[in-house]
Amino acid sequence: MPSAEEWTVVVLSLKVGGVAMMVTLPIAFALAWLLARVRFPGRLLVEAIVYLPLVVPPVVTGWVLLLAFGPAGPIGGPLERWFGISVLFRWTGAAIAAGVMALPLMVRAMRLSIEAVDRRLENAARTLGAGPGRVFWTLTLPLSVPGILAGAVLGFARSIGEFGATITFVSNVPGETRTLPLAIYSMLQQPNGDAMALRLSAISVTLSLAALVASELLARRAGRGFHVL
Amino acid sequence: MSFEITVAKRLGEIDVALEMVAGDGATVLFGPSGVGKTSVLNMVAGLLRPDRGRIVVGGEMLFGTGVDVPIERRRAGYVFQEARLFPHQCVRANLTYGAAAGVDVTTVTGFLGIDDLLDRWPRSLSGGEARRVAIGRALLSDPAFLLLDEPLSSLDRARREEVMRGIEHIRDVLTLPILMVTHDPEEAERIGTRIVTMAR
Amino acid sequence: MLDDHITRRIIVAAAAIGMVSAPIAAHAAERKGPLVLAAASLQESMTAVADAWAKRGHPCPVVSFAASSALARQVESGGAADLFVSADEDWMDDLAKRDLIVTSTRVTFLANRLVVVAPKASRVRIPVRPPAALARVLTAGPLAMADTNSVPAGKYGKAALTALGVWAQVEAKVVGAENVRAALALVERAAAPLGIVYATDAKASPSVRIAGVFPENTHPPITYPVARLKTSTNAEAEGFRRFLISRAGKAIFARYGFNAR
Repeated sequence: MPSAEEWTVVVLSLKVGGVAMMVTLPIAFALAWLLARVRFPGRLLVEAIVYLPLVVPPVVTGWVLLLAFGPAGPIGGPLERWFGISVLFRWTGAAIAAGVMALPLMVRAMRLSIEAVDRRLENAARTLGAGPGRVFWTLTLPLSVPGILAGAVLGFARSIGEFGATITFVSNVPGETRTLPLAIYSMLQQPNGDAMALRLSAISVTLSLAALVASELLARRAGRGFHVL
Repeated sequence: MSFEITVAKRLGEIDVALEMVAGDGATVLFGPSGVGKTSVLNMVAGLLRPDRGRIVVGGEMLFGTGVDVPIERRRAGYVFQEARLFPHQCVRANLTYGAAAGVDVTTVTGFLGIDDLLDRWPRSLSGGEARRVAIGRALLSDPAFLLLDEPLSSLDRARREEVMRGIEHIRDVLTLPILMVTHDPEEAERIGTRIVTMAR
Repeated sequence: MLDDHITRRIIVAAAAIGMVSAPIAAHAAERKGPLVLAAASLQESMTAVADAWAKRGHPCPVVSFAASSALARQVESGGAADLFVSADEDWMDDLAKRDLIVTSTRVTFLANRLVVVAPKASRVRIPVRPPAALARVLTAGPLAMADTNSVPAGKYGKAALTALGVWAQVEAKVVGAENVRAALALVERAAAPLGIVYATDAKASPSVRIAGVFPENTHPPITYPVARLKTSTNAEAEGFRRFLISRAGKAIFARYGFNAR
């Protein structure tokens, strides 16, 4: 059985990963749809920015977030002034870091799925009297479900694995920002921390596996032949 | 007049051009493959924009100077060469996709012989069954006219006969104007009230 | 329909995550100790001091352990914390220059020594002089150190070896690790016969022994300052800072190998 300390870390990781995934999901889908379907000036730039966290070192992403969300930053300033919200040292900040790092993976999976939706089916729906909005809700969205699920799972797994951006951005505060990887890292800094690091690593692997299996089952039952993996 | 079509469209190396005026009944567009028959249907449905010309169906201007009616408001019952059924919806949901609420699907399933398929999924249907469901779906969307693209291709003899009878029923009993594409002279003779031949 | 079905499941899953996390959040909010930003090398000792403080009936301080540099940058960006304990004076100076600490509360309260460690079973002894003898021992195998360009422990080690006149001979044998604890781990697992780490690291590990201590005049002093941050609002912050620098607090740090100042 995990100790109380380990349990706190696990629950916090699930919360940070879950919230990051849920909040990022609609944003990622909107971006995926935009990139897959709309030709607009500056599209390449948007694409580059979305995929940036995938290729930039996580510590850079964390530092940029720190500058942006600090009370003097362009996002943190208004947040603090208008809503009295500060995300530094808070689990909400950890969720932001996790979400930003998960975004490119989610957009990629969803975009592939949207691009795979047969445009001829959408044309058929138009001739049957459906406007663009109805075509989106009844065809594009449900037919993209495999990609949405795959993106959500990847995003969740990436979120609970996020390390570099998180520790740079919101530090390593127990109960707030010390998620599984940060706790494992902390344990590895202690000569007698191997046992706990090992247990936390096992939990980490189990969680990721469970997420993948759950999504596959979900997709199978819901999609009748749609597969995530 | 049911169809007054004057269109020109350049598609890669091919120039598609057609000028025709046709009355009630079934008008068959006949000609070798690659001549642009399907492109004409797409232009009438609004899926392809002509470079120039005008399209009037049943007295209503669908395309012309300053006019380009959106696809969903053209009321075209389009049966594509592939059935294009929605794979995530059962046959009943496919049939009623474009229909008004509370429409009675049996008004078309009877003469199309698809009463027993309502709860099946598209991927479990044979080619002929899928084709007939697609025709039923187009009819239930309350179309002002029908566009049929090779509706009998790749069907065996018995299935061809079933679908052919369905089309004749639409032509003679429902009296919907039909614009149909085929490259088979026998089909063209049997269904066409008149035949328009397209050539290179 | 299919889409409704899936949406409902996702909402159920989200609700489940929310329910699990809600009690934790409520628990954390009820009575909070000060938020302490502490250098990663203080992990065991600071945790022990925080526990001792909590045993005296105070809310347990929440300690975030990371590199001093990362913590200082978080403070510079406006992160609201209570105390900062740095592993070197430079980062504290930086915060002081930006007027982010209460200057009167800055105290250098701990010091550390630089040592050479060897696996427990090893019999090796380190002769500090002459340079030729020292170089011969240190170059017998890979020498584990923290990165000598970026990590403080590595920089101190390079300074000491230079002062003793052996850096040129030893340099080629140095295995640079990402941090000092990673260098320690190399010696613990006998991947390197010798390593240069802090005295506190040597003390923390049961599988290494100290084979030699660098004279203090061979490298800049290794000191740990604490200060209260200007953003501090927690009523317990000043009390805990005073406990850190008190006789009782320093006694706990001494158990982990630190020298009180």
